[in-house]
Amino acid sequence: MEVLKLDTKKNTRTLKEINAKIRTGDAQVLTAEEMKKLVESSGVEVAFKEVDVVTTGTFGAMCSSGAIINVGHSDPPIKIQRAWVNDVEACHPGAAVDLYIGATAMSETQPFEYGGGHVIEDLIRGKEVELKATAYGTDCYPRTRMKTNLTKDNLNQFYLLNFRNCYQRYACAVNSRDETIYTYMGKLLPRLRNATFSGAGELNPLMNDPDYETIGIGTRIFLGGAQGYVIGEGTQHDPQNLNGTLMVRGNCKEMMPDFLQGAAFTQYGTTLYVGIGVPIPILNEGLAKKTAIRDEEIFTHVVDYGVPRRDRPKLGKVSYKELKSGVITIDDKRIRVSSLSSLKTAKKIAGTLKSWIENGSFYLTSPVERLPIDSIFKPMKQTEETTFVANVMHAAVTCKENEEIRDVAERIVTRSVNHIVVVDDRRRLRGIVTSWDITRAMAEGRKALSDIVTRRVVTVKPDEPLETTSRKMAQHNISALPVIDSKQKVLGIVTSEDVSKLLGR
Amino acid sequence: MVRILLRFSEKLVEQPITAQIILEHKVPINIITAHVNSKGGEVLAEIPDAALEKMVKAFRQKGVKITLPKLIEVDSEKCFSCGACVALCPVDAITFDEDFSVNFNKEKCLGSTCSACVDACPARAVKSVKQNNSELTGNMH
Repeated sequence: MEVLKLDTKKNTRTLKEINAKIRTGDAQVLTAEEMKKLVESSGVEVAFKEVDVVTTGTFGAMCSSGAIINVGHSDPPIKIQRAWVNDVEACHPGAAVDLYIGATAMSETQPFEYGGGHVIEDLIRGKEVELKATAYGTDCYPRTRMKTNLTKDNLNQFYLLNFRNCYQRYACAVNSRDETIYTYMGKLLPRLRNATFSGAGELNPLMNDPDYETIGIGTRIFLGGAQGYVIGEGTQHDPQNLNGTLMVRGNCKEMMPDFLQGAAFTQYGTTLYVGIGVPIPILNEGLAKKTAIRDEEIFTHVVDYGVPRRDRPKLGKVSYKELKSGVITIDDKRIRVSSLSSLKTAKKIAGTLKSWIENGSFYLTSPVERLPIDSIFKPMKQTEETTFVANVMHAAVTCKENEEIRDVAERIVTRSVNHIVVVDDRRRLRGIVTSWDITRAMAEGRKALSDIVTRRVVTVKPDEPLETTSRKMAQHNISALPVIDSKQKVLGIVTSEDVSKLLGR
Repeated sequence: MVRILLRFSEKLVEQPITAQIILEHKVPINIITAHVNSKGGEVLAEIPDAALEKMVKAFRQKGVKITLPKLIEVDSEKCFSCGACVALCPVDAITFDEDFSVNFNKEKCLGSTCSACVDACPARAVKSVKQNNSELTGNMH
């Protein structure tokens, strides 16, 4: 690296000075990863003197993304009421021909596999898409339906307009349930058998400027392979808890499909992987120090996605260094972990942005306004009460495994129930038998209860919302679920009658 | 080595067929995975190339159905190395390179008998594909 002739007394530099150096090709640019190594080997002071800009990058599933498309006017004109692009319904919040394609909107013919994110990617790839629209017709916009094929070149305007991107960090997800679940954090195997995480850690743009000294409204960034802008803080921006987010905009017609990809999460839906890189001008020594942040200094919580509540239980704390190593440890249990966001592409973004600045095709901007650093992420105010399993469950009729089938049959009749929960001496769940199992056993002349007990029992916890119980019953085609605590102790039972009584109100 | 999929009907499951064949023919059959339920059993086994014909014949004589297992294929054009599949692979057939490229090792992969990665791929780059069965069905009837 060429040593710069810098005024050694000065301990700040301005954006104007940096841009002047970019113009002459003298700007010293390092990726966030390179910056950490430099600070480690030579210290903050030297790093500040030598480095003008540090580039960052992240490439992950960012559901709160979409594109605003102005398709131009047809002749005769139409005031679009509903529109579909490749069978994905677009939102039509404006006047006549402005459509917003949300990343998570799903195709009506290929739901869960193709969605708004794929439409955006296909258009950027230069593919042709089909636009269908309907309208009620007015004196000024008489047309009531239309169908046409379009490529990005035919679109009047095509801008990426993402209202929440670039989460500073994200939770690491695990699943404590007895079954595999499919979430926006990917496929989570039962009983904590795997973990997933998202985010680039030390390469994340907001982690490198956590006090928003340089990132604000008007900051020019790398967005989807083109130059875009920060237009504000993202929704749910929560900087005090290190969960900052960005709202961004960029011209899709200039973007590259490598950095903007449609994706499908099984049983969750579709989304868009967005590539973002932010240049951090090293204006002072403090920023030199902040951009040297390392994965081992960035922590996140391990969260149980098996509990479908707003405040999911936190099972532990891990660093991004552990997450990137492939294994985390929770209560002495080693859990394999892998990312959902692409670290390879994140590095590529930081590298690409670096080369843009080095070759003088990207200049840094000074924000016109700073992003809030004290906003709080508020929960929803709910005026309707939610019902949980604890509100509807009732005492379970139980038996022990060593009882005779005849005795259990008698209990089914006298207590008039269809399900008997099999427990051990400490009331821990051992299995379940239904009146049908008993009828069949009697017909076949079986005597031992242990032969007919169903051992793989689908259960619920008392703090699960009622909706999940009906979901589980439908999924497994069963009509009752024992309610257990974390130590497998049986607390009660919920039956389909309990659920339908309440939900059918 | 060739991987073949052995299907045992409900009745056959209770007999020690594999053990008998190993003892009889002295062929080192490597059992990679085995699943048994009330409807029967499915075993993924690795057989030395030279013994393939003999083994297929032996298993078929005892009523075991034999096919080539489906393979997992990764479309490298579609894969953007997110890594969603990596921790799900039980045999380390999918790993990260040093630069966080996702690397797929066909030799280690269990094929369709596992398929844990298929529905976890956000890019839909992982597919279960049928192997050409003609080699088995053509020569060995």
